[in-house]
Order: sequence, then structure tokens, then C-alpha cells
Amino acid sequence: MLKNLTKTLCLAATCAAVAMPALAADGPLRGNLRVVIGSKSTGGDTYQNSAIVAEALAENIGINVKVDAVGASEAFNVLGRVSNGSVVMIFHDQSYLGNLYGVKGYDDIFAEYTVGPTVAINPGNAYLVPKSSPYQTIGDIIDAAGNGEKIRVAIQPGGVSEIGFSALKNAVKIQHPGSEENIVAVNTGSQSDKNQLLFDGQADLINGSVQANEQYTRLPEDDQKAMRFVWLTARKETIEQANPEGMGETSREDLLQYVTPNASVTQDGEKDFTFDKEFFFLYNKDMDPAIIEQIDASLQEIFDAGEIQETQKKSFFIPNFKPSEEAQSYLMEKRGQYEVIIDSIR
Amino acid sequence: MEQETGLFSVSIDFSQSHLFFPHIIHWVLFLLALSIVLVHGREIVRHVQGWSESYREHGLDYDRLRLLGTLVLVVAYFLLMNWVGQLFPNTGMGFLLVSIPFMALMSLLYVHDLNRRKLVAILANAIIAPLLAWYVLAQLFFITLP
Amino acid sequence: MEIFSYLSPMFFALTAFGVMVGIVFGAIPGMTATMALAVCLPMTYGLDLTNGLALLLGLYVGGISGGLVPAILLNIPGTPSSITTTFDGYPMTQKGQGERALKTGITASLFGGLFSAAVLFLFAPTLADVAIKFSYIEKFLIILFALTVIASLSQRLLVGLFSGALGIWFALIGTYDISVGGNGEYRLMPEFLTDYLESGFSLLPVLIGMFGLGTILQEAERGVHEESLDSVKYQKGATFSFSIFKGQFVNLTRSGAIGTFVGMLPGVGGSAASVLSYTQAKNFSKDPDKLGTGAPEGVIASESANNGLTGGALIPLLSLGIPGDSTTAVLIGAFTLQGIQLGPLFIGENLDTWNVMMVSLIFANLVMFLVMFFAIRHIAKVVTVPKYLLYPGILMMCVVGAYAINYGVMFDVWTLLIFGVFTWLGQKVGLEVAPFIIGFILGGQAEVYFVKSLESFGTLTIFFTKSPIAVFLWVLIAISVAYSVHHTIRAVKRKKAGNGS
Repeated sequence: MLKNLTKTLCLAATCAAVAMPALAADGPLRGNLRVVIGSKSTGGDTYQNSAIVAEALAENIGINVKVDAVGASEAFNVLGRVSNGSVVMIFHDQSYLGNLYGVKGYDDIFAEYTVGPTVAINPGNAYLVPKSSPYQTIGDIIDAAGNGEKIRVAIQPGGVSEIGFSALKNAVKIQHPGSEENIVAVNTGSQSDKNQLLFDGQADLINGSVQANEQYTRLPEDDQKAMRFVWLTARKETIEQANPEGMGETSREDLLQYVTPNASVTQDGEKDFTFDKEFFFLYNKDMDPAIIEQIDASLQEIFDAGEIQETQKKSFFIPNFKPSEEAQSYLMEKRGQYEVIIDSIR
Repeated sequence: MEQETGLFSVSIDFSQSHLFFPHIIHWVLFLLALSIVLVHGREIVRHVQGWSESYREHGLDYDRLRLLGTLVLVVAYFLLMNWVGQLFPNTGMGFLLVSIPFMALMSLLYVHDLNRRKLVAILANAIIAPLLAWYVLAQLFFITLP
Repeated sequence: MEIFSYLSPMFFALTAFGVMVGIVFGAIPGMTATMALAVCLPMTYGLDLTNGLALLLGLYVGGISGGLVPAILLNIPGTPSSITTTFDGYPMTQKGQGERALKTGITASLFGGLFSAAVLFLFAPTLADVAIKFSYIEKFLIILFALTVIASLSQRLLVGLFSGALGIWFALIGTYDISVGGNGEYRLMPEFLTDYLESGFSLLPVLIGMFGLGTILQEAERGVHEESLDSVKYQKGATFSFSIFKGQFVNLTRSGAIGTFVGMLPGVGGSAASVLSYTQAKNFSKDPDKLGTGAPEGVIASESANNGLTGGALIPLLSLGIPGDSTTAVLIGAFTLQGIQLGPLFIGENLDTWNVMMVSLIFANLVMFLVMFFAIRHIAKVVTVPKYLLYPGILMMCVVGAYAINYGVMFDVWTLLIFGVFTWLGQKVGLEVAPFIIGFILGGQAEVYFVKSLESFGTLTIFFTKSPIAVFLWVLIAISVAYSVHHTIRAVKRKKAGNGS
């Protein structure tokens, strides 16, 4: 019985495997496409988002697409080496933030590679305090730092996790010049390390995410693990596109409380700082431009069909397709803004 | 953060923190090496003397063909696998096409008293094993191979 | 009971299928449970949550268990957590007791797996609150505690310690990774190798390079004379019977508990669990000299601990939303794909899913036991395959494993060769492999926890004064070190006495 079932399963898997590359494509992409990503985790958001896009692309073009979680340094290495279009990369803002923060192994992506289309946003980048914290809002924290209170912020250095911290420090510098030294980074690693520092009282504020920390915000205040959102770095328009149910018991309405303009961290004294973690393609510099066009066109079809948006939203991603050229100038402008912030607090 | 002062206080500059622990390990390695020389020094000297004596009398006693053959084959295997793999990107062909001759050659290198039966077994093994691995891993589970 | 509506024949079939695929992945050197889950994750897209979890938990249990097969039969750890299984498992094979060692290991695995499942079911939320009492400082002490095994594994104390420190040094090569909170700077590597060594040497290629290729090179040097590994014929009376577990209940439970406990500490990870439990088995053994020479006791300690890990690593996943190891990190992907959110409220909000997972976990352990116990007779025959067929095959699988472990990195294949040659040459000048590899496995964590503790507190005294847990860990470390020293002195004395007579 069991053996038969196994056999059936194996057979099914075999059929699926054989059936996959059913129709050869017309464009320059054919056979097997390898998508390397800048993360080593197959459980993380980069992998998940890439898997969704890869599956849609495979179906639309009629090729095999395989996502490999090789991590940033290896992904850049492979991408730099292979120019025949058999390897592309999907990564997010870390790719240029790493370079801005001077992390080894991160080159200038706009010079070394070709930036391709954006596909989605992870709107979950958040900052949290213990539930019992005296600080009610991010504004309280900026003022407290201005009044000489030291605020320890647990972040992962050198990228997406640090940019909100840098913006916070910059805001303090603008509103309370000279007090920005009161915003101190506690450099740490994974989400669990950041949470742990909060539990231990070694940090006053931590970087986290809506997805990973929402349940902690629903714990009773006397629980050592209870937390509270004070700031989401996403743009207001981004959160507004999420499903109304939001995440867990925290609805979209609730989330909007923690976004600009309700939670305001100024960028230059006039407008508020925002950061959306956006996923986009990266190509080898010498890759055939016809492939770029083909992927752009295919993604356009996929997003016009409208199915992928549902899948993305179900996994708390915000669909955000911009074809290559638009994406390039957009991301370049985005990088420019963050460069100013990072330079100003250096 | 309040830094305690005193004999045991340590402050680490974040920008230099990547060297902090390696420094400790370097010291540990140095001290251990020193103690090894002190404790086992005489033993080591005797050992080396004994070895060089036997080297002068017998030369190096090892299976030159099999050892060097293994090293050469392995290096060639790794190089060719990657090179052939790039001719057929993302198909695992580099692995499949190079593994077959490699396995056959390595078996032939290791076998003693080759006879017909052994040869058949070697060839069958060299063809079936990589084919099976390639089919199951690259085709069924979509694992990326060279 | 609502739960029965979820338990379809499909559910059990998928668990069993997962276990079998997992065992195969675990048994291939270099393929791990994590890989098995990662490659099968897309298959769950088409399944509902319960069935998807059934498949993945089956893979998890199978993958962790399969590692003992090559560890015992070929002296190559199939997964990092089965490294300590080689210490006694392979010597047993050399004595012609391969089948016996395998069955002992499998039974211990079953015990560890069920033990940890029970702990998970009964105490998950409570233990999660214990786990968060472990900050960087306590985690560093746990790693330090595990490192003390180097002392008791050394043949010559100083050389063993040096080998261990060298292992730590190799683990530090590359970037001080920002993903663990480092500053992203390079260290300990020449300029021209930065492209390859940026993320350092990967653990699995190093392991299988040392144990797989290293052994093959040694054999080649000697001319590959014996026809097969099994040149020693099956020992009479070496057949397996459950009486081998007589007097081992304490060992089984202690090892299972250590596995579960270490598994539940996020970031400390699998290999530390079996290393730690092996140390304890050796420290508490009536006959410590026998461990390392083919004592079933050692196999029991190692295997009970690494299956204890399965339940343990699920504790923080399900009650904190944080994976206990790299394998459970893949499970997070499966949950989010199904729109299920993990965190401290998961169990309360998803009681059915929770119960179903428990059923799957227990069933998976039972299937693992049955499948392996009855297949083992055939698997054990692998040692009768002539070496000229076996070695090329092993090498080929090592290459596949090394290449695939980081999803396709050619440098990992070269790592095999580098460490194969390193081991082969190193052993000529007395390098001790076991201490080296333990240093390599634990080195990275030792650094991060040590440096981060000091960055936060700025004083060395904090390691003693942080918490009662820290003090308790120091006591354990002191006992372990004292034991090794005592043991070494006794051995030296005995040797002298032997020489004198």
C-alpha cells in the first residue's frame, strides 16, 4: 500500500519534471534560467518573492526557472562572470545600501551591472519598543534623544536594517542639532538576536518586521516578550495597497497609524523619510539587451493578467512592477536620497 | 552604555571588531605551539631524525601511481566539470558528462588484477551511478549541478 | 475531535514519503535535511497546510536520521550533526559490527525523536520562556562547554588543543559577516582569494573533504590494496539485540534532553547538540577510555541527541516564530506561503495545526525507525562493495553534495580538495582531525557570542556575574575540564608505569 503510494508520488513528480519545459520559447531565453538571489535563506522574503516571480516567468515564457539561494557575494560573483543570459539575479535595496555603507563585497550596482525591472515591495520594515516602554511614538523617541536620553537601537549593520536607524539619527540631527549622538546602534544579527536584546533590556528600540513581530504586539504587557510598533518605514501609499485584513489581528487601518504622516521622521525638515524594501532584477552588464526586453515584456503580460498580484498580496508583498528603464532611474534617484542621509550623519 | 572600568574591562571598536577574536586565537595558537615544542620537542626531533634516516635508506615509500593519479584526476575532474558545464548552462551536463569518464578512470586506477568481470562492473558503475544521481537530483528535484 | 478530519491517508502517505526521501538526502554525504526541505518546498505549493507540513516534517526527521548511515559505514558524516556518530560508529564497522552500530543508532534516534516530540508537546511555551533567558553570554558559555570536548577527545592533549584552535582559526577566515552583526570587514585571507573566500569555507564541504577525500588520498597512497572495507568478516555474536541498551537509559535520556535543549536555543544549532551530549556521555561513562574505540554508548549519545534536536528546534519556531536551526528556517517559508503567521500566539490560534504537526512528527519517527531498521541489512552491505567501485562513487557524491549545499557554488567543490589534501598531509605531522573539526564547527559562533557580549557589557567579569545560568554553566565547564585533566594525568601515569615494567 505504502509502496504503491510512494511509487505513484514518484511517478507524479517525474511527470511534472518532464512536462515542465513543454514549449520552446520564441525569444532569446530558452532552456534553463538560473535566478540567483542575494540571500542564503530559503525561508526568507527574498526567496519567497523570487519564487513567485520565477514561477510566473517560467509559465509565461515556457522555460525552466530555478531560484538558487546562494547569498549576496556569490550571487554578484556569478552574475559578473556569466554574460550569456543563463543567470540573472533578484535582490532588493540591500544591493546598493551595502555599497553606500561601505560593506565589503558590494560594488556600485549601477556601474557594475544592469538594473532590471522591480517586481514587488515588502512593506513590513518596522521599529518596535517593549510594550512597557515610556516612549509612545517615534516622535517621543526623537524628543527624548533631543533631551539627552540615550536610545539604543538594535539593528543589523550595513544595509536595509540600518537605513531606518540612519534616518532616525538624521531626523534628530535636524530637529535637535548635536543630539544625534544619543541614538546609538547596537549591532547584531538575526531577528531573534534583535528580539533577545529587547528582552534583555540591552536595547530600547529594535528593527523588526510586521510579519515576524506582529504576534509579539498582542501579548499582555506583563509578558517579557511583549512589544509595540512605533514606526513603519513604508510609504503611506504602499500600506494602503495591502489587503484590508493587514497581518494577523493588526488591520491595514492599524498599520497606517505607524506610517508617515502619523509617525513622522523627517528627512530634510520638510518631507518625511520613507523606505520601501523593493525587489528587482539585476543583469550582467554584457548580457544581450534582447533578454532584458523579453523579461520586461513577459512581466508586463504577467502583471496585466493580474493573477500574480493576488499571490503576492496573500504573502504580504505589495505588487510593484516597473519595467527596466523606469526602474533604473527610479532606483538611482532613491539611492541618491539615502546617500545624502548616510553622508550627513557620518 | 556604562563602561565599567578596572582590570577586566574591555572596549571594542566596532570598526575593528573583526580582528578582536582572531588576535586572541593567534595568541592561543602561538602559546600552544610553544608548549608543544617545549613538551614534545625532543620527541619531534627524534621523529624527524628517524624519518630522514629511513628516507635516505629507502626513499619515499608510497604508491606513486595511485596517489599522484588520484590528485591529477580529481583536479582534472573539477576543472572539466565546470568548463563543460558552461557549454550547457544550467543543465547539470558538466557533471554528468565528466563524471562518467572520471569514475571509470579512477576505478581503473584503483583496481588490482583487472579481469573481464571487474571491467564490466567498473564500466557499468561508471555509467549508471552518475546517470542516476543526475536524473534524480537535477531532473526530479531541480537541484543545480555544474 | 476536529483533528481527525485532517488525518487522511494522504497525510500519512506524505509523511512516510517525506521520511524516505529525507533518509536518502541525509545518507548522501553533503546533502542535508535542510536541502531536502528546500528542494521539496515547491511541492507543497499545491498541497494544503496540513499535508504540506506532513511532507516537510517527514523530510526533517528522515534527513536528520539518514546522516548516521555514511557516518557509521564510511566514516563520513552525512550531516554535520552526525559528526560524533563517526567516533564510535565507524570503529564498530571496522570491527565488523556495522549492522549492529546502525541498529543501535536508529533505535537511539527513535528514542531521541519521541522524547523531544513529547517535550515539545508538553512544555513548548514554557521552554520558550526559558530559551529567551539565554543571551549572548549564556550562549557563549554553552559553546565553550561544547569546546571542552576537544580536551577529552585529544590523543595528545597539547596537540589536540592546538588542532582545535587551528579549526577555530579556519572558521574565522573570510568576512566578519554583517548577517550575524559583524562589521563586514575581511580578515585572515590573501587579497587574490577574496572573491572565493568572502563567505569563508563552508562547513559541509570541509567535513566531507576531510573525512571523504582525506581518507581516499590516504588509501591511494597505500595502494588501495584490500578489496573492500569489510575485509574483517562479520564478528560472531555481534548481531544486534536490544540488550545493548541495558544500563543505557540514563545516557539515552540525558542525550535526548541535551539535544532538545540545545535545539531550542536559536542560533546554537545542531552540531553543538551532539558534540555536547557526546562529551557528557564520555564524562559520565564508567569506562571513558572505550569511547572513541567503538562503544555503542557513543553512538547512542550522538544519535539520541541529534534526533532530539528535531523537537527542540521546533520549540522556538512554534512558540516564538524564530527558527531553532537552518532546517526549521525553511519551514517558516512553508507557513508564510500558506498564510499562517508564526509567533508567540501561534499554538493558541492554530490548535488543530499544532496537533496535526505532533501526529506527523511522531508518525515520522516511527516510520523512520521501521524503514531503516528493516532496510539496514541491505544498506550495511555497502561496505562489501569493492573499494575500486566504492571510492569513485563516494567522491562523485561528495562533489554533488558540496556543489549543491549552497545551491551551486564551484568553490565549495574546490574546498573538498583543499581540505582533503590538508587532512592527508596534516595527519602525517600529527594533526588531530576530530578536535580540528569541532573547533571549525563551533569557532564562528564562539566569536560572535564572545565579541557581542563584550561589546554590550565592556567587561570580562560579566561572563561570571550575568545570571545564575551563567554560574551554573561555569560549574559544568569546570567539571568537564577537571575531568579531562584528571583523565590525561591518569593516562600519562599508566603509560609511564607500563614503560617501567
